[in-house]
Amino acid sequence: MPLAPEAVLERIRPIFRDVLDLPSFDVMPSDNASTVEGWDSLAHINLVTNIEQEFGIRFALGELAELKNVGEMIDLILKKLAQRP
Amino acid sequence: MNEYRWEDLSPGMAAGFQTTITGQMLDTFGALSGDMNPLHTDESFARSRGFEGAVVHGLLVSALYSRLVGMHLPGRDCILHEIRVVFASPAYAGDELTVAGAVSHMNHAYRQLEIKGRIKRGSVLISRATIRVGMSG
Repeated sequence: MPLAPEAVLERIRPIFRDVLDLPSFDVMPSDNASTVEGWDSLAHINLVTNIEQEFGIRFALGELAELKNVGEMIDLILKKLAQRP
Repeated sequence: MNEYRWEDLSPGMAAGFQTTITGQMLDTFGALSGDMNPLHTDESFARSRGFEGAVVHGLLVSALYSRLVGMHLPGRDCILHEIRVVFASPAYAGDELTVAGAVSHMNHAYRQLEIKGRIKRGSVLISRATIRVGMSG
């Protein structure tokens, strides 16, 4: 049964808290690097690594470059999960 | 020094080395860091606290992770991003330590390598670490 976007959001929230060192932060679908404290280029790389490990998926650079916010990241995660054999 | 390129690497790839911690290394690290806590400099004090002798600074032990990634895996093109270290057991001057690392994840989009590192004295785990590095080449 495919995951709902809300379920993906719940699984990536601890990753954002850990990588950004913001223990009470609840990332929202509308968030992006310009709206979140500490989301710099290195944090972004670590977010991607952690999300890949969490879901067992791999991103391509071109896919990531097109993302405008966390909601689009969630959509991409769901797309990757649906493509898995 | 190894000179692995991104294309040479794969999950599970491993590297390591052995080294002995000397009293002189403790003295030098104490001078460099300014950490002259008697736990590291006064053997009788350390014994009074339940240790077998002067305890090696945790960050001196951790410096071996720098050598692991900077010299061995991946070597020349390494750029250190992050280390998360757990100090599992104390190390002492004279200890012969085995430092080992293995690639646990490759973020191909941004070329970030994750390495699980372990430092042991014989079968005793001294430290474990998760190390993330980029590649300059």
